[in-house]
Amino acid sequence: MHLDAKIPGGPLAEKWDRHKFELKLINPANKRKFEIIVVGTGLAGGSAAASLAELGYNVKSYCIQDTPRRAHSIAAQGGINASKNYQNDADSDRRLFYDTIKGGDFRAREANVYRLAQVSGNIIDQCVAQGVPFAREYGGLLANRSFGGAQVSRTFYARGQTGQQLLLGAYSALSRQIAAGKVQMFTRREMVDLVLVGGQARGIVVRNLITGDIETHTGDAVVLCTGGYANVFFLSTNAMACNVTASYRAYMKGAMFANPCFTQIHPTCIPVHGTYQSKLTLMSESLRNDGRVWVPKTAGDKRSPDQIPETERDYFLERKYPSFGNLVPRDVASRNAKEQCDQGKGVGETGLAVYLDFRDAINRDGKDVIAQKYGNLFQMYEKITADNPYEKPMMIYPAVHYAMGGLWVDYNLMSTIPGLFVLGEANFSDHGANRLGASALMQGLADGYFVIPYTIGGYFAGAKLPKVSADQTEFTIAAKEADIRTKRLLSINGKRTVDDIHRELGNILWNYCGMARNDAGLTKARTLIQSLRSEFWENVRVPGSDKDINQSLERAGRVADFLEFSELMVVDALTRRESCGGHFNEAFQTEENEARRDDENFCHVAAWEYAGEGKDPVFHKEPLVFENVKLTQRSYK
Amino acid sequence: MTKTINLTLKVWRQPSTESKGGFETYQASDISTDMSFLEMLDVVNEKLTMDGKEPIAFDHDCREGICGQCGSVVNGRAHGPEKGTTLCQLHMRHFSDGDTIAIEPFRARAFKVLKDLMVDRSALDKVIQAGGYVSVNTGGTPDANAIPISKEIADKAMDAAACIGCGACVAACPNASAMLFVSAKVSQLALLPQGRPEAARRVTAMVRTMDKMGFGNCSNERECEAECPKEISITNIARMNREFFKAGFFSATK
Amino acid sequence: MSWFVNTLGSSIGKKLMMAISGLSFCGFLVAHLAGNLFIYGGRDAFNSYATHLHSLGPLVTIAELGLLTMALIHVLTGATLFYENLQSRPQRYAVNKSAGGRTIGSATMPYTGAFLLLFVIFHLLNFHFVDKTHITIFDIVSKSFSHPAYVVFYVLAMIIAGIHVSHGLWSAFQTLGANHPKYMPVIMMLSLVFSLIVGIGFGFLPIYISLIA
Repeated sequence: MHLDAKIPGGPLAEKWDRHKFELKLINPANKRKFEIIVVGTGLAGGSAAASLAELGYNVKSYCIQDTPRRAHSIAAQGGINASKNYQNDADSDRRLFYDTIKGGDFRAREANVYRLAQVSGNIIDQCVAQGVPFAREYGGLLANRSFGGAQVSRTFYARGQTGQQLLLGAYSALSRQIAAGKVQMFTRREMVDLVLVGGQARGIVVRNLITGDIETHTGDAVVLCTGGYANVFFLSTNAMACNVTASYRAYMKGAMFANPCFTQIHPTCIPVHGTYQSKLTLMSESLRNDGRVWVPKTAGDKRSPDQIPETERDYFLERKYPSFGNLVPRDVASRNAKEQCDQGKGVGETGLAVYLDFRDAINRDGKDVIAQKYGNLFQMYEKITADNPYEKPMMIYPAVHYAMGGLWVDYNLMSTIPGLFVLGEANFSDHGANRLGASALMQGLADGYFVIPYTIGGYFAGAKLPKVSADQTEFTIAAKEADIRTKRLLSINGKRTVDDIHRELGNILWNYCGMARNDAGLTKARTLIQSLRSEFWENVRVPGSDKDINQSLERAGRVADFLEFSELMVVDALTRRESCGGHFNEAFQTEENEARRDDENFCHVAAWEYAGEGKDPVFHKEPLVFENVKLTQRSYK
Repeated sequence: MTKTINLTLKVWRQPSTESKGGFETYQASDISTDMSFLEMLDVVNEKLTMDGKEPIAFDHDCREGICGQCGSVVNGRAHGPEKGTTLCQLHMRHFSDGDTIAIEPFRARAFKVLKDLMVDRSALDKVIQAGGYVSVNTGGTPDANAIPISKEIADKAMDAAACIGCGACVAACPNASAMLFVSAKVSQLALLPQGRPEAARRVTAMVRTMDKMGFGNCSNERECEAECPKEISITNIARMNREFFKAGFFSATK
Repeated sequence: MSWFVNTLGSSIGKKLMMAISGLSFCGFLVAHLAGNLFIYGGRDAFNSYATHLHSLGPLVTIAELGLLTMALIHVLTGATLFYENLQSRPQRYAVNKSAGGRTIGSATMPYTGAFLLLFVIFHLLNFHFVDKTHITIFDIVSKSFSHPAYVVFYVLAMIIAGIHVSHGLWSAFQTLGANHPKYMPVIMMLSLVFSLIVGIGFGFLPIYISLIA
């Protein structure tokens, strides 16, 4: 199968305008004849549902939470990038484009990323018009701050709650369309399957999480905005309900999965404190501006940090990367922290943490200055750990928090299934092998507000869409299959809980498909996953019934799909015989232990096609063509 | 320092909205004081599952205090005893060995119990749908810096906008009133110039919908403000009152 | 006039009615207390104050009708709010604990209010709707407070009135929308001072009278 990304011709900066003009239009009066299913109400889903409804389409919106205001976009702290150049520091669409491409270690599509940069400014305009209270200067204009991977100040923010404010903006636009009757909202619904009629995506199967009913819903197109799969690791900074089910079910129905091994591991998270921990909490990476990362020089040194003299401390990032020091990019910082802990130098009760020490910064600038910069973060840290970071160094450890990989989409954000569009973190399109800070919010909103409203019209204008009804066999069969699967999960009645198995899966991936990978480990992981999957279907215990609220059953369904998907991740990691961004194979590193890309053989998107149960997925390649940037090796020495 | 404690839990169990609920007692043993409250419930649920019983249903998602999905009344306090803290960010070190903890769902006529500790807060969505937005379509908006907004106003709007919609204000209010929630949204949009054109229509519609949803009346008890995990101030309620009177007596809104 | 009914009939409208009627009572309390202070001037001073007051004729009647209207609004709206609020949480909590917002005043408003209603009726029957052709108001008062039970009851009632206004006064400002970070602490302080003035100012009168009687 040939993967056609449908990238428009012409110079990079003109591609999007040209494409918008070439896309066929739907007459306003005809838009109301189309029904669009939007799954997920994060930044991408909320903004897409609202914008499509504003255009006149009839939208059905679905979310897993009790209200469309809670998706995990809400937890993003830092900010959202836009190439406004309000700070007069020579920012431009081209610079944002270049930073994003380079940050992604040259594994993203040029045209998509350039479009992202082009619409980034519109996002800020839109959000301000909605009443999003971005931070402002005394003069009344918008404030900016700088973020990792960029040398300009282009990040717009609302305290440490930017994601929340942007999501509430999208939610308000969505609420307006719900009130207007243009969006029908279905809360507490979990998508469990995609329905194809005549090869086109024409509906979904959802489980009503309150009544347990398996429902089928029809539409003329399906827009998946179901987020990333980082929870496959069990412990991640994602919300508890984040899962891969919707994407994976679409994959099983023929949508290709791109670059599943590209996961981002964030260096500054609060470490795991015990075996019962359910999730991890991120501390903004801005802390590395003033905090110094260190471990004791001797392995197994259990003295409290204030007892360890300066000469017995190893400031390993400063030692290894003298020019960037503690401000090396996320992937490098993460890998180095892991390396220290693997050598037994980790600190804290579990030995899986390194110090992030503000002592010198406090001595230099005074406590007040540090409190002004990071007060809220210090407070949050203290709430969770009961340690005071003004007096005792913070302990941090890397944690999984974002998935760059996702369903393959073309320039129109349509997957390999006609009529199935994929937006936001759920698709693979813009971040390559590593995402820069403050870019996830930008991409979700770009896709939802400014891309899908155009491209879906182009699809409708060119597609033949016969009428479908939920009574059709395609729908009844899909519903029946979902019901059988649910009943099967409930009938196993084994000896291990869902969480117990999920935790084990997470450990396998963390150990063998985490920050540093090698062939032996990945091969082992694949076997372990397969046997864990068999165990799951023989020995899991899911209590309760399928006829009411059953949170164990919900989790069981998600973990069942994680157990399938994780193998795909491992296969992808094994196949990509290079290191780039978040994918670090120890066999492919420079002499300085940095990721060594292989642009000759792996400058492509790996897209995987489902081949059927028990069969190896089929590999497809979308070559990445760089006409506007020069591929270079990253170094931070 | 990590230690473990043993607790007695009295948890509200109710199979469905229609059924009658009651308290069940469970022992939570060897609970690490580093656990969050919800992790403690996870541990209890794992044990219930292995004992062949149904685990306790409770709402939660982000577990970092921002999504607003979690929340129960713990020993008579919405989100538990710590100030400015959601239930997921409440840690067990605030409890002592041997404590008995009563856990109940948020209670209000407008919040039906769905199961155990889960409640239906869709009434809050209905209030937002009545007018908690600026009526602008995507595209065609002016440049973000076209309207300067003083830092003071932007900060005040942000204070109000910090609301996570968890419903603790309703749960904590002796009258189950939703005034703090509604006023936070009304205030955010009333303060900003973007929200002014439809301010009168908005406040009128939102207050009427709030009343229709069956929330109680505010009697300025200030429990909402004291319990709000984002510490939203009742000055927002005063602002909403002003906006409401202005709209009711001096605008064309009927 | 539907806009008028819609506005006042809403939850915030009802609060507005409570606030305005409540504030008018606070005003009345000030006037009443000022008048009562003539008691300290002795029998003649007090009686002559009463005569002067009654010589105002129709103005007194208007004021009385005004107060009666306010009373009806305050009592009926208050009762409605109390009933609605009871209904807003059909299933109560097994454990109730304050987060620190409530005060004795705020938590007891309906109860202190109901008590004050009964007190006002009793008070009017005692001192207002009595035949004053053969006896002066001062004598009625001093005769009443010669019974210790009366004194105790009146002092208690005034403490309760103080508690009621301790919440009522600042709360009325909040309801009217007068909450500003610079001025709210002053209003709160004023409420406290006013409640003490009401409690002590009115509460000490029966004691004083019983002492001189």
